[in-house]
Amino acid sequence: MTTKTATSRTFLLSKRRHSVRWFAPLQPEHVSSIQRVHEVVAQANNHSLWISDEKPLTDTLLHALASRTGSWGTMVLLYQPALASIPVLSRHFHRVVFGSGKGLLPPAELAEVLAAPNKADLFIGGMVDADSKTLTLWRGDLATLTVPFTAFPPSGDGITPDFSAFAVSDCGHTIRLGAYEAATEALLYEYDPLYRRRIARERRKEERSFGAALRRLRKQRGVRRADFGSLSAKTIARIEQGKVDPDHLRPSTLGIIAKRLAVEPSDIKTY
Amino acid sequence: MPVELKLPVYLRRARWKVKIQEKESREPPHVSILRGTDKWRLNLRTGALMDRRPTPSDIPRELLDLIKGNWRWLCEQWDAKYPDNPVEGSEE
Repeated sequence: MTTKTATSRTFLLSKRRHSVRWFAPLQPEHVSSIQRVHEVVAQANNHSLWISDEKPLTDTLLHALASRTGSWGTMVLLYQPALASIPVLSRHFHRVVFGSGKGLLPPAELAEVLAAPNKADLFIGGMVDADSKTLTLWRGDLATLTVPFTAFPPSGDGITPDFSAFAVSDCGHTIRLGAYEAATEALLYEYDPLYRRRIARERRKEERSFGAALRRLRKQRGVRRADFGSLSAKTIARIEQGKVDPDHLRPSTLGIIAKRLAVEPSDIKTY
Repeated sequence: MPVELKLPVYLRRARWKVKIQEKESREPPHVSILRGTDKWRLNLRTGALMDRRPTPSDIPRELLDLIKGNWRWLCEQWDAKYPDNPVEGSEE
C-alpha cells in the first residue's frame, strides 16, 4: 500500500460508490461534485495522480486548470475521451492514460497495480494501432512502451496473436492477444533498455555468489560437471545453483573441486 | 493458448496461478507463478526459483508440491511451446 504524502495525492473523480471501494488501496481524495473539483485543485501539484470515470467532472477540472500553467501530475481516464480533449489533457498532465473495456485492467486490479512498488514493471492497459502494426502499452507509472506486432512470434504449439482481441490481465503481468499470452517482463526486457540494464545489474549481483564463481571457473577450464571424480554431476550442479551453502561444504569436497580445477580452495570464489 | 496448471479452489481463491506463457523463448525453460502483482519463475531444468524477489517463502508449500507432482507434464508443455529451447537442453 502506498503512503499518502503531501506531495503525491490521489484524486478520484467519480460519482460511483463502487469506484471508491475499488480504488481504496490508493487512499484517494474522493471528488464527486463540481464544487469539490474547484476545491481540490488548490491541493494538487505535479506529483498528483488523478483518476476519473466521470467526464463532466474531468471537463470541470480541465476548465479550472485552463488559466494555470505547469503540470498537475498524471491522469487516468476510465473512459475514452473525445479527440479534441487529448491536447488539453496533455497540456495539464505529463502522462495521460485512457481506455475502457479491455483496453485497461479491471478497476480493482488497476488500483492494485497503481499502488504496487513494482508498478513500473507491470502494464495497466494499451492500444492497438492496426495501421502502423504497433501496440502501445501503458505501465503502472503511466509511462508508455510501443512494440511492433512482430514482437509476438507464433509459439511452437501453433498459437498466434490476435491483435483484435487485446487485453491486459493477471494484474499487469500478461498481455493477452486472443489465445496468445505474452509475459510483460519478456516485452520489457526486449524493448526497454533501462529495464534490461537494471535486470542485468541485479543478475550480476547474484552472479557474485560462490556457485556462480565455481561455474565460471569450471567453464573456463573446460571441465564438465561429471568430471569431478567421486562427486556427482548433481552435487556440482547443486553447489553452482546455490542450493548448498558453501560455508557448509566439507573440506574434502572443496579439495576435490579445487584439485580438479587446479586452484587453491580459497581461490574459487575469486573467479 | 497459455498452459495453465489446474489448481484447487482454495489456491485459486487466494489468486494463485501457474502458467507457461508465450514469447519466452529466450528464457531458460520455466513456469510462471503468479499472485496479484507478484510473480516468481521456477526453472524447469534446475527446479530453482530464478529470481530472489519476491520472497520465495511466500509461495505455499502445497503449490510447490502440486508443481512437482506435475513436473513431467509441465516440461512436456514447455517443449511443445518452445521446441528450439527444450527442457533437456544442456544447462552446462
